Amino acid sequence: MLPLTLLNAAQGKPMLVELKNGVTFNGHLVECDNFMNVTLREVYQTSADGERFWKMKEVFIKGNIIKYFRIADAILDSAFEQQEKNRAAAKTRGQSARGGRGGPAQRGARGGPPARGTPSGRGRGTGPPGRARGRGQ
Amino acid sequence: MEALIPFTTSGSLVDLVDKKVLVILRDGRKIIGVFRSYDQFANFLMESVVERLYHKMEYADRDIGILLVRGENVVAVGEIDLIAEDLIPLREISVENIMTRITEDNTKRDKDQIIKENVLREYGFVSEGREGDAY
Repeated sequence: MLPLTLLNAAQGKPMLVELKNGVTFNGHLVECDNFMNVTLREVYQTSADGERFWKMKEVFIKGNIIKYFRIADAILDSAFEQQEKNRAAAKTRGQSARGGRGGPAQRGARGGPPARGTPSGRGRGTGPPGRARGRGQ
Repeated sequence: MEALIPFTTSGSLVDLVDKKVLVILRDGRKIIGVFRSYDQFANFLMESVVERLYHKMEYADRDIGILLVRGENVVAVGEIDLIAEDLIPLREISVENIMTRITEDNTKRDKDQIIKENVLREYGFVSEGREGDAY
């Protein structure tokens, strides 16, 4: 599982973010994006020397000033299970719909309106723009 | 996207996946854990992580768990030789003990540094950075 995939899966979960300057933020992840920008809720901020603390309702942290995230052990397991479940679901859906490749949306689908009742059901996917491509880790 | 191409050397990290690695961060911290995954920016995930603190011939491990490191902050990553690791003549002591020793050393060194800088300044020298300031 890619690092940012785990971060996405950790939404709503508690974590610790340390910035490059040593300041740390403890809180629940609300949202994150591919730049590693994050928003946290119910946050305890600790100064770099570890001697001063602040409590805040919500903070936004720009991705490029982050050093690392500490994430609870359980989250890796649950994220992995969720990923397996999604993969299995996508597989069965793909099979029942049109048999393998070219199924709607979730795999390899690119552009164009959903073509319902295509006679052959083969070829490149024609669903709405899906997330598609890559190894889906 | 062109600007991202210099980072593609992170592909060489493929050999480290699922291995026990030592990571040195830009702030000087040494992190040991199992390397799990990485991306094109060399951001990576580690499991069963400890921070290893050293003082002379002693060390202590501080538990961290799962760590997601932003690639920018990394100086070096290297696989640990599991056999050679057992031969290192270091003694493990508690985190509390090593922290007191390290802080003692730091305060002493800081004091000495100030004295040294004052003497050197009289001779017209400008103070240099310490170890780790280079990166």
